[in-house]
Amino acid sequence: MTDSQPASGPRDNLLLAGLPDDAYERLAADLQPVELARGQLLSDPTAEPDRFYFITAGVVSLLYHTANGSSAELAVVGREGGAGLSVAMGGHVFPADEVVQVPGSAWTLRAEPMRREFDRGSELQRNLLRFSQVLMAQMAQTVVCNRHHSVEQQLVRWVLLSLDRLPGNDLQMTQESIAHMLGVRRAGVTEAAGHLQRKGAIEYTRGRIHVPDRTALEALACECYRVVKSEYEHLARESAGG
Amino acid sequence: MQGSTPRDNLLLRCLPAREYARVSAGLEPRELEHGAGCLQAAGLDDAFHFIASGLVSLVRPTDGDGHTGIAVVGREGGAGLEAVTGGASALAGGAVALTPVRVWSLEGEAMRREFARGGAMQYNLLRFLHALAEQVARTAVCKGHHSIDDQLCRWILLALDRLPDNEVPITQAVIGQMLGVRRASVTDSAARLERDGLIERARGRLHVPDRAALEARACACYGAIRAEHDDLHRCLGETSPRA
Repeated sequence: MTDSQPASGPRDNLLLAGLPDDAYERLAADLQPVELARGQLLSDPTAEPDRFYFITAGVVSLLYHTANGSSAELAVVGREGGAGLSVAMGGHVFPADEVVQVPGSAWTLRAEPMRREFDRGSELQRNLLRFSQVLMAQMAQTVVCNRHHSVEQQLVRWVLLSLDRLPGNDLQMTQESIAHMLGVRRAGVTEAAGHLQRKGAIEYTRGRIHVPDRTALEALACECYRVVKSEYEHLARESAGG
Repeated sequence: MQGSTPRDNLLLRCLPAREYARVSAGLEPRELEHGAGCLQAAGLDDAFHFIASGLVSLVRPTDGDGHTGIAVVGREGGAGLEAVTGGASALAGGAVALTPVRVWSLEGEAMRREFARGGAMQYNLLRFLHALAEQVARTAVCKGHHSIDDQLCRWILLALDRLPDNEVPITQAVIGQMLGVRRASVTDSAARLERDGLIERARGRLHVPDRAALEARACACYGAIRAEHDDLHRCLGETSPRA
């Protein structure tokens, strides 16, 4: 009686893929496909959130801004998670803007059906809580990274985390955007990118970062990359467990 | 004596009587000496620990054997959120008691069951998670952008918000570890703050004679974290001790 799944659909998102069929069916009719455009703001802490985005492609960053313009990127999210967690949690949990860094796609669920399913205490609630913990862990690791590691290492970490969520080995990002994300001056990014180019770890021309050899880049990463990666790999395995 | 009942913790105090009754039988008191390491290492794995007195720092391991502080928590919250969110404790950072600490522990299954009911416990925990997320996020910004003097002011003030009187009974060596800076840097920074009359150093503790002056010196990160902390107290139904 059910339609066959299209080749690419909501269950490309791992939070949804990990739901048992009856839980998924409760939500399916309310899921709406959307495109995610570069720079699109999916939620900001000053506004009332009205939907959750189950990401199926692309990369979203959680960016914290202070009143005087300092910023820090707290976490990177792809199809292992989503944006707009406050919709489920009854208020803003993460004090950050959720911004699309690499264009992609998502399926949205409005606040009411999301809240209803969350309040059942079901697998969706469990998956969302696990996801929130992974976000918190990423944020916590950022604290360590900002204290102990160089701009170059932070850049490497960000490139690797993004590529983990994308097909291929290319990333389209201006130095200005990277500077804003890492919370450093643009000159710092230019210098760090220059070092990485000279080491042959990346090629960076006209706003496109190309990574010819991932293993070489990973060798330059601080431990923060591996720690964060293992957290969301664990999440992915648990989501798949259903 | 503070900490001698579970209701000294605000998450528990602000439960309606019926909800509190459901969990109270399962609450186990534990004393942690200051410096007591990772709660996980102490075998308190799958449990949430409601802090009733003392100061705890959530920590994250760093290169080698060290760890760095991520956030401080007192009786407005607890350690072991992983027991609620369900992540494997092996991946969690852990917590360190910075003073003698009294916790009331509720084992993981009971905690998750109560959370899933969607009542006041869930609400309280999510509000605490919110305040904690703000502190972690702001700490990330502070560590990336602000001087060690700024960070030390922030840290001392956050500790004072969770301790009685105007004393921080913690060594500069431990504070340095929490900030992730070399001990010499902390000593130098503390000396500068003392020279400016903002703190008084004594063996194993810092005294703050004039809180307002220290707050004026601190970067905006303290104010932002403090605002969330006050909000948490309000939501939990209690006026913040320093409001």
